[in-house]
Amino acid sequence: MQQTDLYGPYRDAMNTVLERMKEMIEESGKEYELLHGEKLYEHLVCRIKSEESMSEKLSRLGFEADTWHALQATDDSIGIRIVCLFIDDVYETAARIKEFPGCTIVQEKDYIRNAKPNGYRSYHLILDVETAQTDIDGRTPGLYRVEIQLRTIAMDTWAALEHELKYKKNIDNQDLIVQELYRCANELAACDVSMQTLKRIIRGCDGGGYENTVCGR
Amino acid sequence: MKILFAEDETDLRDVVSAYLEFQGYFVDAVGNGREALARACSDAYDTIVMDVMMPEMDGITAMRRIRDTGNTTPALFLTAKGEVSDRVTGLDAGADDYLTKPFAMEELSARLRALGRRKREYNVRTLTFGNLELDTEASEIRAQNTISLSHKEVRLLSCLMANTGRDMTAEELLEDVWSDEPASVDIVWMYVSYLQAKLQSIQANVVIMGEREHPFRLKEI
Repeated sequence: MQQTDLYGPYRDAMNTVLERMKEMIEESGKEYELLHGEKLYEHLVCRIKSEESMSEKLSRLGFEADTWHALQATDDSIGIRIVCLFIDDVYETAARIKEFPGCTIVQEKDYIRNAKPNGYRSYHLILDVETAQTDIDGRTPGLYRVEIQLRTIAMDTWAALEHELKYKKNIDNQDLIVQELYRCANELAACDVSMQTLKRIIRGCDGGGYENTVCGR
Repeated sequence: MKILFAEDETDLRDVVSAYLEFQGYFVDAVGNGREALARACSDAYDTIVMDVMMPEMDGITAMRRIRDTGNTTPALFLTAKGEVSDRVTGLDAGADDYLTKPFAMEELSARLRALGRRKREYNVRTLTFGNLELDTEASEIRAQNTISLSHKEVRLLSCLMANTGRDMTAEELLEDVWSDEPASVDIVWMYVSYLQAKLQSIQANVVIMGEREHPFRLKEI
C-alpha cells in the first residue's frame, strides 16, 4: 500500500467539502420534490479523483504529480455529477447550486448551448467552496475547488461511450466511430429538446425553447 | 394542390381553370406576367403554369424574376407550336417542363401530376438563412452547434426557408408537409415548437415567428 497520499493532509478537508456539497444538493432536491411533486434530478455521483487518474492527468498536462499541482492546477480533484431527466431540470439545478451559501462561482461552461466539436454536451460549474479547514494556500477557513457536471441521461450515456472510446487504444474504424458518435450526439440532443418541448406542451405552456421560461412546475 | 395559372387569352384561361378546378386543384388565374410575379411572391403554390407571350411582362421574364427570389416551385410553360427558342429560353429561365399549344387537357394534368411527384427533388441539399444551415441530406441544422431533425422537421423547415419573405398559415404548411397522410392542423404547431426549441439549442440567429393558430414566418434576429 502506498503511504504517501497525493492529496497529502488535505484529503480530510476534501472529503468534508464533497460531503457538504452532496448534502446541500440532496437537500435542495428534497425541497424541490416537496414543492413540485417530481424529482429535480435523477441521480448524483460524487468522487475524489483517484490518485492514479490525477497523476495521469497532471503528467498529460506537463505538471509534476504532486499535492500542490493536484489541488491548484486542476479543477476536478473534487467532482460531482448530477444527471437529470430533462434539459430544464439541468438549468434549474444549476441555478439552485449557484445560490448555495459558501460557494463562489469560478466558471460556468455551458456545453449544452455550445456543444464541444465532438458533440459533447453538459453544463459545468466550477466552484470555490469554503470549509473550516485550512487549504493549500494556508487560508483558514479554506477554499476548495469543486467541479460539478450537470447533464441529462442522454448526455450521460453519450459521455460514457465517448469516455470508453477515449481510453481504448487501437480501435478499428476509429474515424468512423468518432463520426458516428458525433451524429448520435446530435440525435440525442434532438430527442432531449423534443422531449422538453413535448413536456411543456403537455403542461399547457406552449412554445419551443427551453431557456426563457420556467413552467410546468 | 394550389396552382398559379398565367394566361392572357381569356377563353383559354377560363377553360383551363375550370378543367383544373374540376380535377380538384385550387387555381389562381392571372392575365399577365406582372400579376403572376406578384402572386408568386405573396402566396405559396404547388405548381406554376405560365404562358410565354403575355402583355405587360412576358412569361420568361416573370419566371426569371420568380426564380431570382429563391422560389423553387415547379413550373410549366405553355409555348406556341414550333417556337424552339421559346422552349429553350423558358427552360433556361427556370421552368421545369413545357407544353406546346394546342394541348390536350389530359396531357396538361398528367404533366402537373408528374411535376408534383418530382417536387421534392427540386430541393437543394443545403439551404441557408442567417447563420442557419439546413442540410436536407443529413437531416441536420447547424449554427453554433449541430442538431438532428426528423424527416417532417426537415420538410417543414425547408418550406419556411423557401418562403422567408411571407407569412405561412398552418393550413399551407400542413398541405405542404403532411400532404400524403391524414393529419390535423395541431401537428403543425407541435412541429413548429420542436423547431423553435432546436433553433434555440444550436443558437441560430433565426426564429420562427408566430403563435398557435396564427401564421408563421422565419425571421432573422
